Amino acid sequence: MKQIKSFFRYENIGLLYALPAFLYMLFFVGYPIVSNLILSLQNVTVRNLVRGSRDFIGFDNYIKLMHDTVFLRAMFNTLLFTVSCLVVQFVIGFALALLFQKDFPFARPVRGLLMIPWMIPMTVTALIFKFMFSTDVGIINYFLKSVGLISENIQWLTSPSTAMTAVITANIWIGIPFNTILISTGLTTIPLELYESAAMDGANGLQKFFKITLPLMRTTIESLLVLGFIYTFKVYDMVYVMTGGGPVNSTHLMSTYSYKLSFEMFQYSLGASAANVLLVILLLVSVVYLKITMKGEME
Amino acid sequence: MEKERKNGKKEFLLCFISVVILCLLLFPLFWIFITSLKTEKEIFQIPPTFYPHVLNTKSYAAQVGNGDFNMFRSFANSLIIATGAMTIAVILAVPASYAVARYRFKGRNGMLLCFLVTQMLPVSVLLTPMFIMFKGMHIYNTWLSAILSDATLGIPFSVLILKNYFASVPRELEEAAYIDGCSRFLAFIRILLPVAKPGVVVCAIFSFLYGWGDLAYGMTFILDQKKRPITAGIFNFMGQYGTKWSYLTAFAIVTIIPVALIFLFMQKYIISGMTSGAVKG
Repeated sequence: MKQIKSFFRYENIGLLYALPAFLYMLFFVGYPIVSNLILSLQNVTVRNLVRGSRDFIGFDNYIKLMHDTVFLRAMFNTLLFTVSCLVVQFVIGFALALLFQKDFPFARPVRGLLMIPWMIPMTVTALIFKFMFSTDVGIINYFLKSVGLISENIQWLTSPSTAMTAVITANIWIGIPFNTILISTGLTTIPLELYESAAMDGANGLQKFFKITLPLMRTTIESLLVLGFIYTFKVYDMVYVMTGGGPVNSTHLMSTYSYKLSFEMFQYSLGASAANVLLVILLLVSVVYLKITMKGEME
Repeated sequence: MEKERKNGKKEFLLCFISVVILCLLLFPLFWIFITSLKTEKEIFQIPPTFYPHVLNTKSYAAQVGNGDFNMFRSFANSLIIATGAMTIAVILAVPASYAVARYRFKGRNGMLLCFLVTQMLPVSVLLTPMFIMFKGMHIYNTWLSAILSDATLGIPFSVLILKNYFASVPRELEEAAYIDGCSRFLAFIRILLPVAKPGVVVCAIFSFLYGWGDLAYGMTFILDQKKRPITAGIFNFMGQYGTKWSYLTAFAIVTIIPVALIFLFMQKYIISGMTSGAVKG
């Protein structure tokens, strides 16, 4: 009795408030993660998905994946996709944040309007860019032709070498607002006096950027890049809608290939294994992110 | 005088540059809007036209009663799914975030860690197990399956964001309410909730947007085209009528409408939500 009473003392009441949300996540996220892990060690296909016996086959699925050229290509693609998007959207985002930090009438409304691409459902963004990159009606081919950069229409989405470029471009379009806003916020935390006194000491713009802005933005930049990495690494809709992983499996990411294995080829266990490889990589990167931000979150 | 003129010139230049950037970055949206109002023939015309020479609103009208691809039905489906997910997320996140902001209970840090990590999960990990689970619960192929799964996107985000809002309410304010005879619950409703209201709005908006933008869950758990969200509808349509761009772009514009409305009326909440850190990118 005493124990029960002491459990319900002041601080632990909080647990009761937090429990519904936590249990919900445990049931709809925690349990699936465990069951996905088990799934990856079995041989589940469409035949024994809902009922029927499932055999444990150990790490066979993972071994199979490591010999699957499409999966290896997907791993490489995911890394290429993520790094390309990160670099370009970070550089453009930083430049825009610096521009909008300046005090001029259009700065705030224009920066606000630039948020729109980030809010649009990815399926729609994929559709927009599929249209713009299409071979015959695509505005991009028309533009490149009219400025004389190409003489024949490029088959952007139907040839392996260019499809990846198109998909990356579309995803960068979403990433720019995200980077601009987060860097803008970081910039506002730098005290203006620093720039003023640097200017009095005769520092030029470049010196101010490298000696004041960059060093003081270090934490913002670090967490932005790691967070960006995590969110880009798991992108699924963009590629699935734009190319479906094609042509000839050349643009599959780990996420889209896992989906294909599970829901197009009905190799549920193999798909689960592919998803778990993706999960492990993301968890490793998350540890880095948590190290950077955890201090603030736990307070 | 001289300096003022120089500043004016610089300001003009900055305004000009920012407008050019804006036009460049928002061009894709302008382009599909224009395309959705063109005839199929004009879309394929070379050189392309930059405004519809023949105004064609059939692409929108044709969707109303068009069998399997009823745009307005999928729109309503998405509205139901996103609103449902939003409601679950907000109702569960408000007490949970209050708890982590105010109490130091056992397992608090572990719980926070779990919420942080779930935001980083790829959907692919959850799809198959959820698929099996929903089949077992007999809610496969219903709105409820998409609502329940979409809510898992909004909950962790909302808890982490709202926690900061509740933490920013001074304890004295709460304690003054107790002295005036408010119960804990009443103090929460009367004092804390009004102060944290902007945070609740941010959570509601983002949970709604996650649900509205979701493709993977809606497409995997709902097979029946009549119940599918609009994103899945677009995806289907692309597969079947791949080059019917007048219809496809009209579809896209309709999907963007709620997003545009949210942007118009709640812009400040979006920016504050994005900068609060843990957001999708």
